[in-house]
Amino acid sequence: MVGALALIGGALFAADLAAQRDRLGQRLLSARPDQVAADRQLVAFAISQARPLYSQHCASCHGVGMQGNPAVGAPNLADSTWLYGMGTVYDIERTVLYGIRSGRSKAHAIADMPAFGLTGRLSDGEIRSVVQYILQLSGNRYDAPAADAGRAVFYGKANCSDCHGMDARGDTGYGAPDLTSNVWNSGGDPQSLYRAIYSGQHRVMPAWIGTLSLEEIRALSVYIYSASHPTPPPPAPTYRQ
Amino acid sequence: MATRDIHVQPRLARVFSYRPQRSALLPSIGIAVGLLAAGLGVFHRAPPERNRVPPGYVALVNQKGILLSDLMSQSMTELGKPFSEVTPEERARVLREMIDEELLVQRAVVLDLPETTTEVREAMTGGVNAQVAAPLLAEQPTDEQLRAYYDAHRSKYTADGSMSVRDLVLHIGGYENADQSMAQANIDATEAVYQLRAGTAIDYVMEHFGLADSGRTKNGNEPDFAAKLHLGDTLYAAASKMAEGEVSDPVSDTDGLHVLIMERRRPPSTADFASARAAVYADYREDIGKAAQRENVRILRSQAQIILAPGESE
Repeated sequence: MVGALALIGGALFAADLAAQRDRLGQRLLSARPDQVAADRQLVAFAISQARPLYSQHCASCHGVGMQGNPAVGAPNLADSTWLYGMGTVYDIERTVLYGIRSGRSKAHAIADMPAFGLTGRLSDGEIRSVVQYILQLSGNRYDAPAADAGRAVFYGKANCSDCHGMDARGDTGYGAPDLTSNVWNSGGDPQSLYRAIYSGQHRVMPAWIGTLSLEEIRALSVYIYSASHPTPPPPAPTYRQ
Repeated sequence: MATRDIHVQPRLARVFSYRPQRSALLPSIGIAVGLLAAGLGVFHRAPPERNRVPPGYVALVNQKGILLSDLMSQSMTELGKPFSEVTPEERARVLREMIDEELLVQRAVVLDLPETTTEVREAMTGGVNAQVAAPLLAEQPTDEQLRAYYDAHRSKYTADGSMSVRDLVLHIGGYENADQSMAQANIDATEAVYQLRAGTAIDYVMEHFGLADSGRTKNGNEPDFAAKLHLGDTLYAAASKMAEGEVSDPVSDTDGLHVLIMERRRPPSTADFASARAAVYADYREDIGKAAQRENVRILRSQAQIILAPGESE
């Protein structure tokens, strides 16, 4: 008799938890993306839902700790630097939904970093001088005469400022990184910078719409947002409203 | 018979006899099983209501959802301001446009436009091809790969030459000497060539040896492909090897013996690797994309049922 009652109680508790989870999932999706971040209960719920998804689908490129991987040009997701958008839940969700150069017209794909060396648009010497100028911009050690020459190429022949801006602070509409922040997706040493200019960049991220559910995508977006916007620890997720 | 009844009756009696502990246990098991079944039902999400917009969407158009994220993106793109500054009227207008578009897309499917309209088919195939090629294009080629590609496809980087050539013909038997044989024609043509190379005026040589303008090269200077078209393969083969100012040996063609005079010549030129780099890079990546598309079609074919009508082949 006691066993039967325990069974019944357990089933009811599990059913209640599932119902709570469903309700939170619906609230997570119903809210406007940028309102979710202010709701600590939803953030906690999203994180608990997204952790296994991140491990399964994102960690292979962006790293288990979201620290990124320069070898594949996968950006750090836990810092406050964003290639596309301003790092809001909406911006992140947009990228997760449609990807980057994924072949879908809603993906981020306005511009590519040209392969200046491979296509012969810049000589080796010109690329090396631009590298020195970028080192100067980002507050690293640089060779002054070479950086001066690089500056001329940057704003002249190579027209780097067209995407990276006259102040070299980048353009998150194009996915052009801020060259003054000293945050690098593919490495910030002279060799890596040379390679990026010589061979160009055409990084790709898949579109997850159709593979993950909208709720999963929202949860992942909130999880990534929360990693770069640390807040006081939220209350333990009880799934109760 | 009597003996059997004696054995059966006590067994039945035991089963149906009143035992208080059994009366509580059996209903409890029944309730537990029932609740478990109900509980399992609760674990499964109820199917979405067909007349209610699911979370994450802003509208359902014939059960097809319009994403909130897409509405936000479309509003910001159209209105050029953050979504937080979009007024309810503007938001409603954008949503109305998106619903209209969705209706048209659905209508296109009903009208089977992918089957009947070339532009729709091209857009669809282009979309699939772009998605298939996207991951492969993430890898940038190396210099060695580009060089190898250039070496294997040099003809792609060869610019057509051009020529201005005069084509004189000696129609065999058409000279003053009606008995002119092939051998005699050859001798005459060779002599005409000798005279031309010696600097004798063309008009004089033409008149003296009975040469006529073939009429194949009336357009003056023209690209090699056009010259080939007009001269024909035999004469073009001879002409393409000539330098400017050169007079050819007699060339036999279907209508007689020809003598070519190259007045102006710009030979075809192959761009070296350094100057062709940009084109090589673009072509290389285009070929990568095409290879991905071919592989995709190969896989699709391997999974498809394709039946050809009798007599058809592909």
